[in-house]
Amino acid sequence: MSDTVTINLDGKDVEVDAGANLVDAVKWHAGNDIPVFCYHPKMEPVGMCRMCLVELGSPARDRATGEVMLNEDGSPQIRYFPKLQTACTTTVSDGLHVKTQTQPVIDARNDVLEFLLSSHPLDCPICDKGGECPLQNLTMRHGPQASRMYFDDKQNLAKHFPLGDLIFLDRERCIQCARCVRFQDELVGDDVLAFHERGRRLQIITNSDPGFDTYFSGNTTDICPVGALTTADFRFGARPWELTEVPSISPWDAAGENISLSMRLDRDFGGKALIKRVMPRQNERVNEIWISDKTRFGHHFTRSDERIMTPQLRAGAALRPSNWEAALKAMAAALQAADGDVAAIAGSGMPNEDLWELRRLVEAAGGSRLGAWPPTHGGAAAVAQVGIGAGSDLGKLGRGDAILVIACDLEEEVPIWRLRIKQAQDRGAYLVVANARRTRLEDFALQGARNDKIVEGDAIRYGVEGAVAALQNLDEHQPAIAQRLRAAQNLVIVAGAEGLTLPGSEALAIAASNFLIESGHIGKANCGLLSPLPGPNGMGLQYLGFSPRAAQDIISKPPKVLIVAQAELLDDDPAARQWLSQVDTIIAANLFDDGIGELAEYLLPLQSFAERDGSYVNGERRVQRFYLAQGPVGQALPGWKLFGSLRQALAAGALKPSAAAVFAELSEEIAAFAGISYQDLAQTERQFPDVGGRDLYYGGTAYENSGGIGVQLPASADKRRSRKPRQVPDYAPPAADAGEVLVVPITKLYNRQRNFRPSLLLEPRILSPLIVINAEDAAVAGIISGDMIEVRAAGTSLRLRAHVSDEIARGIVTLPRHMTAEPVPLAVTAGSISRVAEALVAAR
Amino acid sequence: MAIIGNAKYQARIKRHLAKYPTKRSAVMPLLYIAQEEYGWVNQAGINEVAQLLDLDPTQVKSIAGFYTMYSEKPKGKYWLQVCTDLPCALQGADEFHAWLKEELGVQEGGTSADGMFTVEHVMCLAACDKAPMLQCNFHYVENLDKDSMRALLAKWRVDGAGAANGSA
Amino acid sequence: MGTMHILLRGRDIENLKQLEVYEQHEGFSALRAALGMSPAAVIDEVKASGLRGRGGAGFPTGVKWSFIPQQEPVKYVTVNADESETGTFKDREIMEENPYQLIEGSLICAYAIQARAVYIYLRGEFWDIGTQLDDCIEQLRAKGYVGENIMGSGYSCEVYTHLGAGAYICGEESALLNSLEGYLGQPRVRPPFPAQKGGGLYKEATVVNNVETLANVPFILNEGAEAFKAIGTTQSSGTKIYCVSGHVKKPGNYELPMGTTFRELLFEHAGGPLHGERGFKAMLPSGGSGPIVPLTDEVLDTPMSYEDCANIGTIIGSASIIIMDESVDITWVASKVTKFFAHESCGKCTPCREGTYWLDKVIDRILDGRGSPDDVRRIADVAENMAGTTLCALGDFAANPIIHTIKQFPDDFARHVQAEA
Ligand SMILES: Cc1cc2nc3c(=O)[nH]c(=O)nc-3n(C[C@H](O)[C@H](O)[C@H](O)COP(=O)(O)O)c2cc1C
Ligand code: SF4
Ligand code: FES
Repeated sequence: MSDTVTINLDGKDVEVDAGANLVDAVKWHAGNDIPVFCYHPKMEPVGMCRMCLVELGSPARDRATGEVMLNEDGSPQIRYFPKLQTACTTTVSDGLHVKTQTQPVIDARNDVLEFLLSSHPLDCPICDKGGECPLQNLTMRHGPQASRMYFDDKQNLAKHFPLGDLIFLDRERCIQCARCVRFQDELVGDDVLAFHERGRRLQIITNSDPGFDTYFSGNTTDICPVGALTTADFRFGARPWELTEVPSISPWDAAGENISLSMRLDRDFGGKALIKRVMPRQNERVNEIWISDKTRFGHHFTRSDERIMTPQLRAGAALRPSNWEAALKAMAAALQAADGDVAAIAGSGMPNEDLWELRRLVEAAGGSRLGAWPPTHGGAAAVAQVGIGAGSDLGKLGRGDAILVIACDLEEEVPIWRLRIKQAQDRGAYLVVANARRTRLEDFALQGARNDKIVEGDAIRYGVEGAVAALQNLDEHQPAIAQRLRAAQNLVIVAGAEGLTLPGSEALAIAASNFLIESGHIGKANCGLLSPLPGPNGMGLQYLGFSPRAAQDIISKPPKVLIVAQAELLDDDPAARQWLSQVDTIIAANLFDDGIGELAEYLLPLQSFAERDGSYVNGERRVQRFYLAQGPVGQALPGWKLFGSLRQALAAGALKPSAAAVFAELSEEIAAFAGISYQDLAQTERQFPDVGGRDLYYGGTAYENSGGIGVQLPASADKRRSRKPRQVPDYAPPAADAGEVLVVPITKLYNRQRNFRPSLLLEPRILSPLIVINAEDAAVAGIISGDMIEVRAAGTSLRLRAHVSDEIARGIVTLPRHMTAEPVPLAVTAGSISRVAEALVAAR
Repeated sequence: MAIIGNAKYQARIKRHLAKYPTKRSAVMPLLYIAQEEYGWVNQAGINEVAQLLDLDPTQVKSIAGFYTMYSEKPKGKYWLQVCTDLPCALQGADEFHAWLKEELGVQEGGTSADGMFTVEHVMCLAACDKAPMLQCNFHYVENLDKDSMRALLAKWRVDGAGAANGSA
Repeated sequence: MGTMHILLRGRDIENLKQLEVYEQHEGFSALRAALGMSPAAVIDEVKASGLRGRGGAGFPTGVKWSFIPQQEPVKYVTVNADESETGTFKDREIMEENPYQLIEGSLICAYAIQARAVYIYLRGEFWDIGTQLDDCIEQLRAKGYVGENIMGSGYSCEVYTHLGAGAYICGEESALLNSLEGYLGQPRVRPPFPAQKGGGLYKEATVVNNVETLANVPFILNEGAEAFKAIGTTQSSGTKIYCVSGHVKKPGNYELPMGTTFRELLFEHAGGPLHGERGFKAMLPSGGSGPIVPLTDEVLDTPMSYEDCANIGTIIGSASIIIMDESVDITWVASKVTKFFAHESCGKCTPCREGTYWLDKVIDRILDGRGSPDDVRRIADVAENMAGTTLCALGDFAANPIIHTIKQFPDDFARHVQAEA
């Protein structure tokens, strides 16, 4: 079979991809816009709205011989369907004839629009979607001049119906295209939206508890072709035409979702540019056109009053507001006095430019230890070597391919990966999820059938022996699964750090690398390793020389001067206060003060990703740029400027004038970035499906990628290096004595981290923290769900309510990170648990 | 009140689940059971059906809303659905329906003050040669006139005094 | 009066709905015969009989069965017992009075396509019929006629009933399948068709046939295709049950050879006009969904067959013949039928969902005397815009009553809009 077929479009032959959808094909190959409402290029066609009607014909075949019948001139006879056909439910085939501009087609479009408008309010100027509304646009292009429907015959329906805390439905505007229902059902896999009643009474409902409240709900407001679905965050906050779109990158996780910040000069923000909403920006390789609700609604921290506003210097017991000049001078002196015993710890929210300047600063001060925070995930080095191959696209994985997800909970850690991996499984990929407990992705792995598709997957539930042993023994314990993984055409392993110490997660990453190397799944597209490193720039830390090992080293041998950059040591590590007390001088730069202000000599305000230019490297090693969008907050500086100025104060070279200049320098010095410039990062290309800009009706309000699709750094394996398996370091999980359990900290998407809390809309969605304990273990210990439990581990003690579960291995309990006032242990550790008498709880 | 664990329904639930290759297919028969138990399709019934079939309650609610024989509102002990579609109407069904509502003092879709009767009109019930007719708790009563209807109402008032709400 | 009953034999044979009685009258001999034939031979026999679907569209039944890919391991038969077309009540009588004949026909179909199970989809209101059929199925299972190794032939097939719950659209075959699977009873995009893998019940190849269609099958196997073909017209063989309702003296079901004239049906069988002094005015020969025709002599003399009805601009469909006498205002008829479709539109596709609602609103306005001549043109236009653009035929059905009532009885509309002017 050839890969293309030729169809005749309005009299002209056009070569299109075989098997393509007709709407997609004529748009991509011939720029022909067949109007659609219900059809969406990311979902199965349903043929509901009838907007895409066209004339269709195909070569007539002789009944008996099956031969194409010919006209006298030798051309094939074309037999047209007597009725118009929906293009969206048509797959192209050789010789297909399509007429999109004839009178019957023009009339049908006009008629469908007239029908839709007969029930739709005609108040575009006050509608949230006004100005970027497919219904409005298509009416201009194809619709009737005036409505013949009597206005008082229209239905009056609920205008502000909450489908949950996040999304509102205007029942009068809904045109029953079912895009939102299908998105939730087909793409997300949570069928919490559905139609109720029928005929003209058909309406969208949720009857789930809680309501429409998935991690991806906001996307429905983008693909809704009218203003029926609006977000509680933005609705009626501004008009689309007042907004300026600034390309950016999600600051939350390793996916690096491409986003567009909709900015407006705002009275409530001193007349400065303010983020009014966060929209997806198309990058098919990264997030397609989807973003998580955390990315969409979690932006409020950038303007929070809680942010550090001015540089502060210690004066005795207290920090005193100061100015940059004084602060820089004092800090330079402190650095000089340290005799080279200077180290830095950087969080993964730090852009590459800042990390580079921080590194240069430490080096200028004679230090060398560069710690990556949190010091928990050891996968970055392995990703640099055998990470997912150049040119990879999770959206291309499907039949014949396999994905192993081990020691992580992608729904909570990198939601977009979870969305795309579920899609890959729907396309036929074999999904294996391994963990000590049940995760959302495991549900999908085991679901068997979904949306009338048979999907394949398996789950591996390991116990206290942990992920490393499970992977190393895979061939022995799960030969069938191991065999299928090895035999897959493409194999991606996602190896996390849940339930592991830092050496454990390093060992797991090496074991995973070996598995990939042995089965030949490295150095090519759609094969290789991924790691859900925390934060948006875990790989940037790796490439710029910041490592979790160095952070551990700093913890065990604190330096004289420690620079802490955008890392919440006290929020993350119960032991931090203790080891930080051994540091002479702490220079802390961040957006928020996690309490380090009590210990630091200097507390400095940093700018958020929205206030500056910069770049991150995502988990697929794609370097992506973000751009200055928001007005400045207080006296905050971008990290590169702060550290560059300090370096200048040490007389170690002049401050660079811009982020671009910093990037130019780092790309000269860091081999992995060689030859890459800001201009390269800003390059775009035409992407399929072509949803950008003007064609809102087609893909929704996901924005065209104007800021660049980024550049993927090659992994070592892509350059034909590091192809031999390495010895997996011996790793044994922390030993639990009799009566002890393994305490496993886990990550929750919605938590009480300082940069998340200001987004009040999501606050009710934060679950109460629970310690999850195996049912048999609980029975032995006399614990039932709801009991108050005291956990003692890693020198700290915490109290949480118990949740007893069959879905977690014996001997293991989980504690959610960043949900309790006191930090939970950094990594897995042995500990003890005991029931607290309720009287004592009450007394506290 | 419950369906789950209610001995009365276990055999029926089991039989319906055995009929189909997918659990989801049993949603309609189970909704009838929920309606029987609660007198209407209430949230408790929806949740139980959802639980029995591993469905999201939204999906069950959606099914209940699409079909007219599931009542999403409480109704009287006798749910009287009068066919007023064209063939019956040609035989006087509209007048009969109007008269019945007046007789019971109810509005369309309403329930009589004593909680005994809910009256509504419905589309063709495949009994066009026996008009006027109605369906009472899903059983047909045909060839009606005012006298026979009055007699029936009187009988139902007596029978229904102790009976539970419900169908079939 | 040469009435011959192939289907309504319950009228001639007392207690035919009892299994012993049914068996005494050739019951299950056709199934036994079929099980002795190859599946292909059974299909050929049905093809040769010229039997056409009685659910409305008149598609040749044997041809439909032959579309099923034999090599597929899982296949189904679904019996369409949704009988919800306004004025139709024939399937009901077959199932009430002659239930075993339907089950026998279904099993023959199942054997012919080698189906794993038969699902009888009954409209929910047929609650009592469902109970009776369940009872019949149990008796047959006890006798080894349903279930494993039927009649020792090695062929196994289950039969189940499924009750709908009040939705006309579930008579449309793909909506029926969705409903049976536990989804909303909304039609599916076709292709794939039910007979194809991917398009039928649970995505497996499936035959969907009407009750009356399948109830004919035992006769064809017992008496032979030729005997069946000998009844009726060349293109419409066999008998047909005509459901007569409205203004006739004796409304009811009449099973007559296809090709009998309307005149014979209405005057000889149904007893003529209900009120002798008032003549017939109009007829809906296929319930609410087919085009209305005035009851002229030409129409009365038309044979009731698929081909002849096309000649007078209507269809025989499921033969639900609704008769209206001179007292009837056709605008009111249009409104009644429009209300039906507005109530029954599933809402999935735009023209039907919006069109039925809109038509209903405007026609109410016209009936109320608030309409204008423009409104009449408007609804005709709206109906034209619906026709041919919807996802399933309900949209076309809903357009018919408006288009054809206005065309055939313009004066009835003019009266309402002029009264106001
Ligand atoms: C809106 C609609 C309603 C229908 N209702 C019925 C029905 O109640 N009973 C029926 O047998 N066929 C009905 N049909 C026809 C079925 O779709 C299908 O053609 C039929 O069941 C095929 O069986 P047959 O070939 O034996 O006629 C309906 C079709 C449409 C479009
Ligand atoms: S024509 Fe009507 S019934 Fe058919 S799919 Fe469209 S909305 Fe549903
Ligand atoms: S029917 Fe094709 S786009 Fe809606």
